[in-house]
Amino acid sequence: MEDTLQSAPPHPAPETIRFEFKTRPGLLKLTIVNALLGLVTLGIYRFWGKTNIRKHIWSSVHINGEPLEYTGTGRELFMGFLVVFGAILLPIGLLSGAVFIALGPESAWLSIIQFAVILFAYVFWGYAIYKARKYQLTRTNWRGIRGNLVGSAMTYSLTYFGSMLASGMSLGWATPVMNTVLQEQIVSDMRFGDAAFKFKGRAAPLYPTYAACWFLTIAAVIASIWALSSGFDYFSEMMEKLALGTELDGTAVITLFITIATAFVIVLLFYPMLWAIYSAKELRTFAQYTRFDGSPFTLAITTGSLQWFTIVNALIMILTLGFGKPFVQRRLVRFAIDRLALHGMVDINRIRQSQAEIDQRGEGLADAFDVGGL
Amino acid sequence: MKATYFDGQTARHQPVDIIVSQEGIWFSGDGIAGRLWSLSGLHPIDPPSPGQPFRLTHDKHPGERLILADEAPVQQLLGFAPHLAKGYLPGSHFMQVAKWMLGGIAVLAAAGYIIFTVLPSWAAQVLPESWKQRAGEQVEKSVIGDAKTCTAPAGVAAFNKLLTRLGKDHPDLATARVTVYDMDLLNAFAAPGGRVIFTRKILAEASTPDEIAAVLAHELGHVASHHPEEQLVRVAGLQILLSAFSGSGSDTLGNLAGLAAIFRYSREAETEADAFAVESLQKNAIDPMAFKSFFEKLLKLEGRNSEAAKTTALDRVGNIFSTHPDTRLRIDAIKPLPADVKAEPSLSAEEWAALQAICGTAKEL
Repeated sequence: MEDTLQSAPPHPAPETIRFEFKTRPGLLKLTIVNALLGLVTLGIYRFWGKTNIRKHIWSSVHINGEPLEYTGTGRELFMGFLVVFGAILLPIGLLSGAVFIALGPESAWLSIIQFAVILFAYVFWGYAIYKARKYQLTRTNWRGIRGNLVGSAMTYSLTYFGSMLASGMSLGWATPVMNTVLQEQIVSDMRFGDAAFKFKGRAAPLYPTYAACWFLTIAAVIASIWALSSGFDYFSEMMEKLALGTELDGTAVITLFITIATAFVIVLLFYPMLWAIYSAKELRTFAQYTRFDGSPFTLAITTGSLQWFTIVNALIMILTLGFGKPFVQRRLVRFAIDRLALHGMVDINRIRQSQAEIDQRGEGLADAFDVGGL
Repeated sequence: MKATYFDGQTARHQPVDIIVSQEGIWFSGDGIAGRLWSLSGLHPIDPPSPGQPFRLTHDKHPGERLILADEAPVQQLLGFAPHLAKGYLPGSHFMQVAKWMLGGIAVLAAAGYIIFTVLPSWAAQVLPESWKQRAGEQVEKSVIGDAKTCTAPAGVAAFNKLLTRLGKDHPDLATARVTVYDMDLLNAFAAPGGRVIFTRKILAEASTPDEIAAVLAHELGHVASHHPEEQLVRVAGLQILLSAFSGSGSDTLGNLAGLAAIFRYSREAETEADAFAVESLQKNAIDPMAFKSFFEKLLKLEGRNSEAAKTTALDRVGNIFSTHPDTRLRIDAIKPLPADVKAEPSLSAEEWAALQAICGTAKEL
């Protein structure tokens, strides 16, 4: 021991941590090749394509000048898919098919199977999220050291299930508490090498913002019901005129059309925009509650930036018919990295690789539920 | 030249001196004994990109990383080993994807083979009768729509007589039964559970009872060989495979009945049913040439049986005479009765008249 200490190079002082996103060229090429190969291979290429996108995005994230490295492989994701397919999707399909043929489409057993499938999905939703996060962390290297989640995915999943029930039964009011509990669970399990992340904080500061969004939502619901009913009156009046053969002037028709279109856009946009206020607050708060090596994070996300970010993402997805997803994912990472900071000094050189076990297979269930994140 | 080395055990940032040659990268540093990473074992983490450090690992040291931040050694290295400039795709893992894809296709092909050949003939034997009946009901319902059943008692009796005569010796035809539907479509069809379906129109097009006997014998051939059940298992299996692959679980299974629309039989199945029909007709001393003539007549009629007909489920199930290059071969395969057998009419004149009036409507001949 004495020997190693002496032979080791002089111990540099703790460093400050800088996050930086440096855009790398080549994402468009990857996107196009993925789409084409996806078609040619009947979708099997998806797993390799996803891996390439992750490698590309990860390597654009620089921490103190050293980029992240994604070490996952398409093969691992594919194996994860195969296992979920063989162990869950296929048996469900076979069972439903057999029941359908044996007992007919109106059989109560079909409904029971469907209910069981839905219940399974709810109970294992959190499991899928946790496993996907664990897979991604264990495949994320920085300075040759990988991350991990060292807790139980099933415990997280049950908490997740409970939080969904609690949020539903409390008309949403349990959401800030439950989100805090869930975040604490997953962040406390997070490791970089042998260094742990800590999460400590209460949900109380989230409540004023939550309450504002909640009451505004109720007000908006009442307002839209009112607008809908008066709009309906107006609409039926117009229909009556039309039926009676009374002349309809063009402006009235245009007004009606514009009113309906505006109402549609408002409903479509209003709720995400309103709840972005809470989301931004929650993200900022959770970042402050998170510590690495004793230093707290900040995530400088403002409501306005989050709203704009959401709108642009939606536009990219719509205008590219979904093919622009990698760009949205890169935007997501960039959005977070540009606003992320760690306040304090960290003795990085001290961090060692963890010997904790890592999964050999990729996020199969998360892929099936489509909760894999990036 | 300078580079950075990470040993994969600690996050320690270790500056090293490197020498790039055609043998590889030789490097050493404080506490790092000089070592060579051979060119052949080098792997880039990312493709080289301006403004980004070029990161390398080595086959023999998978957890270790060598980071080249300066442009000069990178260019030097790429001069010796241009293959390091390749991106993530597609060459680097193309073979792997191809392997898995071929594997996937092989698995799918195997699953498809099982679903299409092995499973149906096995399942058709072991499916309980109640399952067959339920499935048959589904298929029949989806194909017939809201058409009325033709139930004139004398006609039903005549058809049943024909059925008994043609199916009497065969154990698998014990549950077979025939239903005539009042439909203006030219078709006859066998559904799971021994259900044989005739349309009013096909009865009307026949000029002799022997022709109807021939079509019935053909459909009974399908029933005796369990073709409808096999096809059902095929369709259901395909459906399950598709829904499992699309990840949509069980919700598409509701369309199983609708999928009966692709209830077409293979050429082999049709030939098998033809052979059964000819044999059965000969055994009952009914002249198979009626089969041949009716076949040819329907083939001609089919051209006119288009427009509205094509859009209904019953037409999509395909009929026994569907225009197919092999149809001619099938017709030619029909042989007359042996010279020493005297043909017997399949139904008496009264029975034939009753059968043609089974739907209670006036028929044109």
